[in-house]
Amino acid sequence: MLSIKNLHASVEEKNIIKGLNLDVKPGEVHAIMGPNGAGKSTLGYVLSGRDGYEVSEGDVTLNGKDLLDLDVEERAREGLFLAFQYPVEIPGVSNMEFMKESVNAMREQRGEEALSAAEFLKKAKEACKQVQLPLDFLKRGVNEGFSGGEKKRNEIMQMILLEPSLCILDESDSGLDVDALQVVANGVNSQRDGKRSFIVVTHYQRLLDYIKPDFVHILADGKIVKSGDASLAHEVEKEGYAFLGKAYEEAEA
Amino acid sequence: MQANKRDPNMSEQIEQALERKYDAGFYSEIESDTFESGLDESIIRRISAMKNEPEWMLEWRLKAYHAWLEMEEPDWAHVEYPKIDFQAISYYSAPKSMEDKPKSLDEVDPELLRTYEKLGIPLHEQEMLAGVAVDAVFDSVSVVTTFRSKLEEAGVIFCPISEAIQKYPDLVKKYIGSVVPRTDNYFSALNCAVFTDGSFVYIPKGTRCPMELSTYFRINEMNTGQFERTLIIADEGSHVSYLEGCTAPQRDENQLHAAVVELVAMDDATIKYSTVQNWYPGDENGKGGIYNFVTKRGIAHTNAKISWTQVETGSAVTWKYPSCILKGDNSVGEFYSVALTRGRQQADTGTKMIHMGKNTRSTIISKGISAGKSNNAYRGLVQMGPRADGARNFTECDSLLIGDKCGAHTFPYIESRNPSAIVEHEATTSKVSDEQLFLCRQRGLDTEKAVSMIVNGFCKEVFKELPMEFAVEAGKLLEISLEGSVG
Amino acid sequence: MSQWLDQVIGGAQFDDYLAPVRQQALTQLKADGWPARRNESWRFTPLTSVEKREAKTTTQADVLPVPAIDNLNAIDLVFVDGVLITQVNTLDVPKGMTITSLKHDDKATQQAISSIYGQIKPTRHMFGLVNDALCEHGIFISVDENTKIDTPVRIVNMATQNVDAHTRVVVKVAKGASATVIEQGVGDVDSLTTAFAEYDIADDAHLEHYRFAMFTAAAKQLGGSHFKLHNRSTLNSTMVGYGSELSRLDVDIHHAGEFADAKMNAIYLLAEGELFDLHSTIEHAMPNGTTEENARGIVGDKSRAVFNGRIHIHRDAQKTLAELNNRNLLLSRRGVINTKPELEIYADDVKCAHGATVAEIDEEALYYLLTRGVPRSKALVMLNFGFIQELVNDVPNSAIREWLQPLLSKRFSQMEVK
Repeated sequence: MLSIKNLHASVEEKNIIKGLNLDVKPGEVHAIMGPNGAGKSTLGYVLSGRDGYEVSEGDVTLNGKDLLDLDVEERAREGLFLAFQYPVEIPGVSNMEFMKESVNAMREQRGEEALSAAEFLKKAKEACKQVQLPLDFLKRGVNEGFSGGEKKRNEIMQMILLEPSLCILDESDSGLDVDALQVVANGVNSQRDGKRSFIVVTHYQRLLDYIKPDFVHILADGKIVKSGDASLAHEVEKEGYAFLGKAYEEAEA
Repeated sequence: MQANKRDPNMSEQIEQALERKYDAGFYSEIESDTFESGLDESIIRRISAMKNEPEWMLEWRLKAYHAWLEMEEPDWAHVEYPKIDFQAISYYSAPKSMEDKPKSLDEVDPELLRTYEKLGIPLHEQEMLAGVAVDAVFDSVSVVTTFRSKLEEAGVIFCPISEAIQKYPDLVKKYIGSVVPRTDNYFSALNCAVFTDGSFVYIPKGTRCPMELSTYFRINEMNTGQFERTLIIADEGSHVSYLEGCTAPQRDENQLHAAVVELVAMDDATIKYSTVQNWYPGDENGKGGIYNFVTKRGIAHTNAKISWTQVETGSAVTWKYPSCILKGDNSVGEFYSVALTRGRQQADTGTKMIHMGKNTRSTIISKGISAGKSNNAYRGLVQMGPRADGARNFTECDSLLIGDKCGAHTFPYIESRNPSAIVEHEATTSKVSDEQLFLCRQRGLDTEKAVSMIVNGFCKEVFKELPMEFAVEAGKLLEISLEGSVG
Repeated sequence: MSQWLDQVIGGAQFDDYLAPVRQQALTQLKADGWPARRNESWRFTPLTSVEKREAKTTTQADVLPVPAIDNLNAIDLVFVDGVLITQVNTLDVPKGMTITSLKHDDKATQQAISSIYGQIKPTRHMFGLVNDALCEHGIFISVDENTKIDTPVRIVNMATQNVDAHTRVVVKVAKGASATVIEQGVGDVDSLTTAFAEYDIADDAHLEHYRFAMFTAAAKQLGGSHFKLHNRSTLNSTMVGYGSELSRLDVDIHHAGEFADAKMNAIYLLAEGELFDLHSTIEHAMPNGTTEENARGIVGDKSRAVFNGRIHIHRDAQKTLAELNNRNLLLSRRGVINTKPELEIYADDVKCAHGATVAEIDEEALYYLLTRGVPRSKALVMLNFGFIQELVNDVPNSAIREWLQPLLSKRFSQMEVK
């Protein structure tokens, strides 16, 4: 499904990702943990193709396609979904209008007919319900005036509608209370169907109690320095990132 | 009225802080050959003859003159001044000592050298700022050009334009009027007809000019106009930084300065052109001062860059729009400007960025400071042509008003004909607030220092664009401007 | 000189109570003449289609149904080809409000009209002067002191034949009163409409104002809405412009009192070879006023948008807050946008800003849409129509909001994206 080989990437000429390797097979859930500044969010931006994030070396393929050759929207249509840590507000563009364009772009890619307004509305309503977003959020501007938790739920709602093959969740737990966390996690779990893969980027182990990972990787200084199963996350929770060396402990403090 | 809560003493103090003496206002006792005032064909023939010009140059001048006669003086600028009597101006004045064309600095009239020394521009090479070559233009002639041999080693031509017409006629013929056409506007047409001297620069292919080039313009004689012409050609892949300074004696009469500057940046070349303009601004009642009507324009070919930086503190009336024609793909234009007006000064200045090529970029940063009873206007044009795919402009115009008798104006024209071009324009206006002043004073600064500091901070973005040697001068100039009445 | 203007000046005759103003206008028209090609006011808007036109008006007009705005429940006043076809005296008008024709025998009413007619609209508008001189049919609306009128008054100009139409609206909102007035223009035939309106908004009064300049194709419109704001009065104005062969709107907001507050939103959506030119001038003559102006437009195909927004802060207008923002999107290589936001400031203790952008993209928002697979061209359209939508959302009247919403998105969808 996703294969990252020796990825090097920089932002404003500063190297952030320095030789990262990762293989994600269909249906797997990979958690990426790491201290602040390790390059966790950068990874999501690089994979999605954001401007200003330059790949200097390495290969990334998604479902056998060379991802790095594609534009942002083409990657999305190949099934890559990035749930943002801080989703941007777009006043004036309604959530509904936005998702309709988006869903139909995906359908066109798959050679399917565009949804009629009624069909779309039905699906959108279901998705809203699933993440407990009131229906009037569909009419509002994209993320406009949403609370932190509402924005996160809106991201998951989009994920449900777009049916991607690979979901990257960037700190989807940050700033959420336990109830909201539960809603987000339920939304994600409902999408685990044995084929869809997830990369869950998080600073804390907490989210992983709700979204059980198959693998846990520790990202530090732009590389994966340690991999293991779910127990690794608990280790980190208890011991912190001390094993990475003194510099990181200080950075964390 | 509720609105005028400000402590009236405060406004007065700020205004006092802005009063200044014009340091360059002295007159040099130098015997000159000066034409009688008046303008007709014979005057132009005489100028051409004085310069021993080839026939094509005279013809070119006469064509411009006849076109000028048909043109009308522009009235769209936000400035007011009595009608200029073009027959009351003398169009040529040169120090007598220059008649025999001194071969070296030792032959130059010591009084002339003293004049420049007094202005802070020593012309003896050993005394100069290392790394700056100077062409000193006094009234209508170039007095001396320093460091010529060193520049020649690098293949760089830096000489008075009158000399270039003799020595490099092909270059001059090819490029003069190629950026600012003869009939471009009223004042440029007049300049074409009567220009007397100015600087000529040619940087050969792939050459980085080894030092800063600088021209220092001085008007000395009474009732003369100065019409200088500068032509800078940077051949492919070359690089040059050029500085220009100007002053004039303090007089009760207005004097006219109508210059033309043309820049040609060939593929991959860079021209950086900086000006510190300190012509006599007139007294606080608006008596005297220079009318500064200047046309400056550059053309940038593929991947070339033209950067204009100006600090405008002088002149009674300023009418000046250093512009860039971004003809080549990926070419870059920049305009950084500080214009300070006090007393009765009027400035209408800005730039034009004409985007023709693909992915052309331009940046405009304009800072206007108005005080006293002055008026300060930014006027600009950003034009995105139909072929300017991916072109971008960013413009920021900030005005600072000091006192409630001045004016600050912004007139930006934006035209886009390309859907992929992006133009962003922002303008704000602010004042030196009582709170800012209070804070500075509470920390022990006097009003003068505080205002000067705030104004300098306001201009910082532009000052950092000036070459180092000039940044100091510009900083000093503003400080003098804001220093208070103690001379 | 222009044949049209010659005929206008030559044909003018008047003997009513407005004759002095009309005569003055005529004198100025004669003195000013036809604007020269480089005239700043018409720099980007050629008047060639009027220049050689035959000046003629009509007294015959059909009674036509007006374009509906669902759920608006307004008092409708209708001009067809310059002729007022509404029987004004039969209207059911709320208490405290007067609506009459400008043709009125009552001396007091005449006086009230004369104090506004040609007095608020600056004399620099050439077609305003033509209207001053030639307007036969006009309406006077007056709201009594401290009267709040909830029912909107809608004035519709319909162009149906190849004639000139000169209509006028004079509005007086007295102290502490409030009213809603809608000016609407429709038509697509080879016509010329000069529709000018003057509003005198007294101390503590409020006006909610709309102007829908929706002439298209060969229908030429040269109109204006002009406001005088007295102490603590407020204005909330929304304009929507379509383009036509020649469409020019002049708006003047004059802060003649202290603490007045003006808000103006303008939207223009242009298709085909249309032209729309909006000139707005905000005069802050007195202290403590506030103005917020937002003009946003999208230019498709071969159309041209001209925007000139001027803010003038006079010497005495200390503590003014004024902001003007103009955003444009150009969809086509054949379209043109000319924008010029101007500031002219003579008072130091003020906060003024203007901004203008063409095709500015919020890169972060664009990236967000792209990560969801939306095609780039669509994403750009969505984002840019989004900023139009923001102004629609700002419309205070819900019936108008709901009417505009589908109308504008339909027009937008017809504007070709290249």
